Amino acid sequence: MQLRGRKQAITAGGAVVAVALLAACSSNSSSSAPSSSGSSSASSSASTSTASGTINAAGSTFQTNFQQAAISAFKSVDPNATVNYDGVGSGTGRQDLYGNTVLIAGSDSPVPAKEMASLKGKAILYFPVQIGPIAIAYNLQGITGLKLDAATLSGIFQGQITTWNNSAIAALNPGVTLPSTKITLAVRSDSSGTTQNFSQYLVDAAPSTWKLGTASTISWPSTARAGDGGSGVAQIVKSTPGAIGYVDFSTATASGLSAASVKNSAGDFVAPSSAAATAAASHVTPKSDLTFVTADEPGATSYPVTYQSWDIVYKNQPSANDVALIKAYIGYLLSSQGQALLTPLNLAPLPTSIDSAAVAQLSQLTS
Amino acid sequence: MSTVVKAGPAHAAGPAHPLAHRRPLGDRGFALLALIAGLLVLVILVLIAITTAQQSANWFSTIGLKGFFSSTWTVSANKFGPMAFVYGTVISSVIALIISVPISLGVSLLLTEVLPRQWARPIVYVIDLLAVVPSVVWGLWGILILVPWLQKIYADIASGLNGIPVLDSLFSGANISGASFFTAGIILAIMITPIITSLSREVIATVPAIDKEGAYALGATRWEMIRGAVWPHSQGGVVGAILIGLGRAMGETIAAALVIGDSPEVTSHLFYSGFSMPAVIALEFGEASGEFRSALIGIGLLLFVITLVVNLFARAIVERSARKMRGA
Amino acid sequence: MASATARHGRQPGVPDLREPAGWRRGKNQLMTALMVLAFLIVLVPLVLVLYLVIQKGAQAISWQFLTGSIPPNVMPLGFNGSGMGPAVVGTLEITGFAALMAIPLGVLGAVYINEYGGRSVLSKVISFMSDVMTGVPSVVMGLFIYTIWVLHFGYSGLAGSFALACLMLPIVIRSTYEMLRLVPDNLRQGSYALGATKSRVTLTVVLPAAVGGIVSGCLLAVARAAGETAPLLFTILTVETTNTNLFSGANTALSAQIFANATSPYVGAEARAWGAALTLIVIAFVLMIVARIITARFTRYSR
Repeated sequence: MQLRGRKQAITAGGAVVAVALLAACSSNSSSSAPSSSGSSSASSSASTSTASGTINAAGSTFQTNFQQAAISAFKSVDPNATVNYDGVGSGTGRQDLYGNTVLIAGSDSPVPAKEMASLKGKAILYFPVQIGPIAIAYNLQGITGLKLDAATLSGIFQGQITTWNNSAIAALNPGVTLPSTKITLAVRSDSSGTTQNFSQYLVDAAPSTWKLGTASTISWPSTARAGDGGSGVAQIVKSTPGAIGYVDFSTATASGLSAASVKNSAGDFVAPSSAAATAAASHVTPKSDLTFVTADEPGATSYPVTYQSWDIVYKNQPSANDVALIKAYIGYLLSSQGQALLTPLNLAPLPTSIDSAAVAQLSQLTS
Repeated sequence: MSTVVKAGPAHAAGPAHPLAHRRPLGDRGFALLALIAGLLVLVILVLIAITTAQQSANWFSTIGLKGFFSSTWTVSANKFGPMAFVYGTVISSVIALIISVPISLGVSLLLTEVLPRQWARPIVYVIDLLAVVPSVVWGLWGILILVPWLQKIYADIASGLNGIPVLDSLFSGANISGASFFTAGIILAIMITPIITSLSREVIATVPAIDKEGAYALGATRWEMIRGAVWPHSQGGVVGAILIGLGRAMGETIAAALVIGDSPEVTSHLFYSGFSMPAVIALEFGEASGEFRSALIGIGLLLFVITLVVNLFARAIVERSARKMRGA
Repeated sequence: MASATARHGRQPGVPDLREPAGWRRGKNQLMTALMVLAFLIVLVPLVLVLYLVIQKGAQAISWQFLTGSIPPNVMPLGFNGSGMGPAVVGTLEITGFAALMAIPLGVLGAVYINEYGGRSVLSKVISFMSDVMTGVPSVVMGLFIYTIWVLHFGYSGLAGSFALACLMLPIVIRSTYEMLRLVPDNLRQGSYALGATKSRVTLTVVLPAAVGGIVSGCLLAVARAAGETAPLLFTILTVETTNTNLFSGANTALSAQIFANATSPYVGAEARAWGAALTLIVIAFVLMIVARIITARFTRYSR
């Protein structure tokens, strides 16, 4: 009986190992990426498909969905390059760049004045990569198409408007029965470019009512619930009836959340969408370093709370291979195939003029 | 007949016996290997203490003794007072014990005293099933099913108890949330019940039958026998089992992290969101750096020390009562 | 005299001096009822969890689920399905390697305590501390391996295996020790009498005698390790692609994926979490059932 026991034990162990090997082999062959629709000819002159190595990038969670799609599509364009993108928030992404743990920092806002010292005098290049709406996501059962404006948003996010059936909200939404549920704010806990741009919009569009300024982190009312990354905010809104939060539109739709229509400077209530963001971005004139603000742009069909994101790199790279890798990857993001990935993700491509300027800027990278 | 092999270098007189001299190298090697494996336990425990202390030295030196006892935890302002988490850990573990102990003791008494052997076995399987469900699955069920369901129940209780002096500061309030100290206590109770039950069973099973039979002989009902014969013998061991359950509840990370609400506040309201030591480490470690990371490791060290002390105490009590039993 | 207990029936015609008073009997029955109630209360969450995991998980599970890749947050148009393939591979390889490390070391440790240590202080201390070590929180183990390995060598499945092995070690030691203790001494004595060295006795007589119990104890330890999440959070840096290289590069596991999906707002995340939970529970249950079978049929010496 002892012998039987040992044999059985060995057989069982062997079976487990066999299953493990089988699983490993089968999943290796079936790990598939969503097929990229682009053809193999690159239209942008800066992309070279022969760079090899690893790019570590981190930062904005607004960019996460685009980066995920681009990284898997880029594998077929340049199989020798591996790109890793970690959505840790714009602030942490910039810190990682200063600390040289990443090559590329994704950031929804330019380097703020108080962080300039961390650059230690090294020049950086801003490459805009995407445009998109900030959705004002809310959780109210049965109510779609909620309308809000900058003044009401200020009141809500400063904690002055505390219930949904407040007169200010009701005035903007005639005919809609608003419940008396308490408003729960969902905000970002980490240093976020989305926070920066949302607060920038409120400063631009409601200067007399918005008092909390604009920065990557804001002192929200103490009752606000904070989440990590855009998906953290989306999670709070999704699970809390009566919650309202600001999150990029791509994440909001992927989470199944309703987004409010916001009144733009022309007086129209516009719902967030790829087209409305493109309309807003068409009015933008970037500065010479390719930084710009897309908030509160004119135009009847423009979504007012639109924003943008950059991939920031040092102008001077330590190795020529790094330069080649950056040119290849960012070149891909700016190319027509890369930009074509944006609209299905509920983001918007860059206006052509800005895209060409960015592509031209790639040649400024030196090693 | 005593063992022949343990002989050291050959004793003085007598003809040499092949096995009486040195132990073969392989045998000594095996003995050494076994010793090293055994020492590994001690080495790991000591290393845990040393490495976490090193990594958290930055935080300890920055906050000093006063900062250590503060409960202000604001990452952006670099304020890392850990007391809110200690409070959350203690409260949720105490709630877990209050719920779990009567149930565990009831089940273990059921298994040892009431039920005949064949009935006891399937029930033991059920308890083992409860133990083998991974903690992350409890957490998943907790946050997706239990939390929304409890939110409504808490709201009803809160409105019902509004105004009653002591109860309302415990169970009422404006920020009732399904994810709260109490929910964490419930999930922890579910998770520590199997271990308290099985340890208590072992302890109760060692009560000498003669005492039990004697009680019955004097005309005691079963409950009176339990109170009179079983309890005095097993109380030490059962207390030890309960303390081990407490240690487990304090250290439980994932299930608590998912349902406790992630809000570092010290409040008497049990239905408010809170935070606990293992939960904050698990949830915030990913993006932490510098002093923040050092603070989280420091909280880890604190948790290690607390659970170590509780477990040492508990095992010592169990050991002592087991020894008394063997003597008896 | 001693045969008269309250459990035996009454003899007809003999006055029954043993019948307890009404209120005492009532109290006894109340207490028994409470004990049964306690058990029923224990059943409730177990049944609820199993029912929900099976119901919701079964909707997500398919062979494609178990082998397919993990989809990105935003599903591209036309992508229809969800997968946990990388996580299944990760769990199997990380837990497997952890078992490979913890089981031999744990068995050897228990051998030391029981066979070599005897009554020495060191062996008592090791035995006591290994019991205490079962109570070390899993998050502390994760932090430990993070500071001692990940900071120097980066995230990898190997680091995760180390953390899980540290968790399994005391469990294996304890259960092996219990089994070794049950092996009767006369087996050892007989072998010594035949001239065997101590290592030979242990390896060829004692361990085989206890192997049933040892294997079942190890299987339970593996089941516990497969379900652990916290140690992996600090050591494998959850990614979404299969990594068959255990020794370098971040990895993923079922438990880590369940955790990530439990707090994810994206459509489809919840379904994936339930599917992964069902997979994990099935793995743990299978291990537990196999352990029980081995205990029942192949254990020579039991309590």
